[in-house]
Order: sequence, then C-alpha cells, then structure tokens
Amino acid sequence: MSTTDPHTPVAAGSPATWRPGLRSWLVLTVCEAKMVVRDTAGLVVPVVLPLLILVMSAGPAADQPVTGGYTALDVYVLPLVLTIVLGTIGVVNMPSFLAYYRRTGILRRLSATPASPAMVLVAQVVVSAAQALIGLAGALAVAFGAFGAHRPAHLGTAVAVYLLAMGAMYAVGMVVAALAPTPNAAVAIGLVAFFVLGALGGMFGGVSTLPDPLVTVGEWLPFGATVAALGAAWAGAPVDPTHLLALAVTVVLGAGVSATFFRWT
Amino acid sequence: MSTPDTRPPAVVATRLRKRYGSTTAVDDVSLRIEQGEVVGVLGVNGAGKTTTVELVAGLRRPDGGSVRVLGLDPRRERSRVRQVLGVQLQHASLHAALTVAELVGLYRTFYPRPRPAEELLELVGLTEQRTVRFEKLSGGQQQRLSIALALAGRPRVVVLDELTTGLDPRARRRMWAAVESLRAEDVTVLLVSHTMEEVERLCDRVLLLDAGRVVASDTPAGLVASAGAESLDDAFVALTGKSLETVE
Repeated sequence: MSTTDPHTPVAAGSPATWRPGLRSWLVLTVCEAKMVVRDTAGLVVPVVLPLLILVMSAGPAADQPVTGGYTALDVYVLPLVLTIVLGTIGVVNMPSFLAYYRRTGILRRLSATPASPAMVLVAQVVVSAAQALIGLAGALAVAFGAFGAHRPAHLGTAVAVYLLAMGAMYAVGMVVAALAPTPNAAVAIGLVAFFVLGALGGMFGGVSTLPDPLVTVGEWLPFGATVAALGAAWAGAPVDPTHLLALAVTVVLGAGVSATFFRWT
Repeated sequence: MSTPDTRPPAVVATRLRKRYGSTTAVDDVSLRIEQGEVVGVLGVNGAGKTTTVELVAGLRRPDGGSVRVLGLDPRRERSRVRQVLGVQLQHASLHAALTVAELVGLYRTFYPRPRPAEELLELVGLTEQRTVRFEKLSGGQQQRLSIALALAGRPRVVVLDELTTGLDPRARRRMWAAVESLRAEDVTVLLVSHTMEEVERLCDRVLLLDAGRVVASDTPAGLVASAGAESLDDAFVALTGKSLETVE
C-alpha cells in the first residue's frame, strides 16, 4: 500500500498554502501579450487572412439580397469571416503557442514555481481574446466602411453567440494543445481541425454539395454552428437552439478533456 | 538529543527509482540533506544526477521510493513545496521575447515574499542586461538569469542543475559567491556539478553517483581519504572505477 507515509510529520514552520494573486495573473497576461506582439507573424493570420477572404467575397455578396433588406454579406460572409477569426486564434494559434512553450521547457520551468497551469492557460485565453477583438474590429470596419454592411438585427444575440463561439473554439484549441505530442503535431492537428471544421461549416463555399450526414455533422460542429447562429442573429431570425447547444457542449467537453490531459512537459 | 541541529532534514529521499523505457536512470537512491547544508552531486554523464535532483524537486514522478522536502511531498503538496524550493533546470527555456527585467518581475510575482529585483540581478551580475531580451543573451547570461529566477522567492532549499557549466571564469566565481551568500542565509543547496574545484570549494558534502546509484557520500576531504586518493579527482576515479570493476 503506497498510501501510508513512512516519513516524519510536516516540518515545523512549513508554509501555509499560498497561491499567486491577481497581480501575478495580470503580470503574466501582460507578458503573454508582449510575446504575441513581439512575434508579429502570429498576429498576421487571425487579422489578415479573414480580411483577405472578406475583401474577396464582400463585393458580390453585398449586392445579393437575402432577406428583409439583409444581403449575403450580412447573413453569410460576415458571420463566416468572424468565425474564421475565432477559429484561427482558438484552434490554430493558441495550441501552437502552448506547444512551443512546452517544447522549449517554459511550461516546465513555470511548473517548478507556485504558478499553476491554469494561470498560463487563462493568460493565453485573455491575450487571444484581445487578438480576436482586433480581428473582429478590423473585419467589421472594412465590411461597414467599404462594403456597406448592415448591423445585426439582434445585436445582443449576435454578441452572445460570438462569445459562446469563442469559448467553443478555445475549447477545441485546448484539446489540441493538451493531446498533441509535439509542437509540430500541435500545429498540424490545429490546422487540420480548423480546415475540417471550416470545410464542414461552409468555409469553402456552400455545404449543399456535401452528403446530408456531413452537412448535419458540420452544423453540430463549432464552426458551422457559429456561422449559422451568427447569420440568424444578423438577419433577425430565431437562433436554432441546437446550434447553441452544440457550442455549449463543445465548451464543456473541451474544458473537461484539456483539464484532464494537459501536461507541463 | 544534544545534536546542534534538531531541525527536520531539508531533503529526505528513500529508495528512489526511475526508469525511462528500458534504461534505469536512478536505481535505489536514498539521501538525507540537513537544513543549511551545501551538497554537491557528482557523476559522469548518464550517472543519474539530473534525474535525481528532478525527482527531489518533484518534477518527475518516481517509479518507486519517496521524497520529502522540509517534510512535504513535492508532488502531492506541490504548491507548498514550490514556495520554499527554488529550482534551476538544465533544459528549460524562458519566454524568449521578454527582457531580463520582465522575466524577473514575472517570476517575483509567483512568490509571497520575493527578493527585490535589483538584488537578484546584482547577485548574478545581470544588472546591465536588464533591458535585453532573453533570446539575445549569451548562453552564460541565460544560465545566470535562470539561477536568479530560482532564488526569486527566497527559497529555503535550492536545487541547481549545472551551476557553472559553460560559464567563463569570472561568471563562475560570481556564482560561487552567490552560493556562499546562500550558505550564509542558512539556505540548503543541492547542486549538480562537473568540476571538482567547484565541489571542493563550495560543498559540505558530496554525493557520488554512478549508474544510478549513490556510490559515496562524504565530505570532499573524507571522500579523498576513504578512497586513499590524493585529490578529489583521484577519489572520483577510484570510486567509480571500483563500481566499473564489479561490472567486468
């Protein structure tokens, strides 16, 4: 039985349980932000790639009315582009950052301090949420400024859907970071996951050419669910609860799996 | 008990074992280090030095045996041990794009009573490099920063894996002075070393590891005497040679 302790009791004057406080979380978050800003290449994908897709498809889509004065730009292209912002950050960037930290031993070094894994993960989430906001602001500025997009009919619903979707994309990214054996694997798995989710969610055009079961699966996956729910909120249509449920389930499952399997080394 | 030091030991390891695949890195290592001792771990490459100190620091899970640091289990009572144990790792990097001052500032926030940043930088001689990014530091400077971070939380026990390997003579003397100042503060130090000069100069006691086992544990002078050798170098050869002989 290994539960019995052959050793003497805890040393007198041994430390009480103490954990790094709010200041530590803030400093770590600022440090993570500096890392991202100083690694400019990592900023390009979530900001420039969605903008590129937006600019390429916004022109024709803005002239294509869909429903109630809303165009294809409003109810389809913008939701798609905003979902890509979240996907590149949550599913591709964050796991590759964490995998890089693991490979170089940064997480291992942190694990030798009272800092907890949660601190690094939360700092990453906060910093990448800021990146997502930048990507979002850039895409919206171009869509409204240059292509005459309309604001969502249900703004509050759209914001809520976006936040939930952000959680779901992070959850997928955290699973990738937790399960990938090497940094290269993390990047590869992240990219494959992103493109599979995207393909089934309509990133490469309509899903009407896909077999029905795949379409259904795609709608249940976070990318497709986000595009559909955002599009509905934009057009003022009721959001299908199954899409919200799908996103919520992704958050819960992803959090559980990554919390269970995340390793420092 | 009339012994001068009745405090609980700083480190107790009992019958530690660790295998990587088919390789046994640490094979039945037991050790006891009193508070305030400076103990060197000597051995050839692959003798199990790093694995031993990483097991002590709770960074690896032993396959067998147990470790207590100041009476605490470094894995099960992780957060309590982390407050009193400072670790310099051999193969660990830091946030490459952050500066020396930023890293010191970050690591200080992890501890309840951190040592002042200026004092840490002065101790390892990096005051002038405070605005330099980690990735721009020389290998020796990176190592000194890593030592500074190990001391950021005023640890009572410090594990230093390769204190001065790769450092120039001046930096090496500075690190030795840093260990002497730790000794003056009654900090327990477990340091992995490759140089006899370092061990003779700094350590109260030497653990000689060979093939994952402790083959000797004595003062540097005692080691020389018991091996019938003239120097610690000769003692090392004599002692590890002995174990090699048994293999033949």
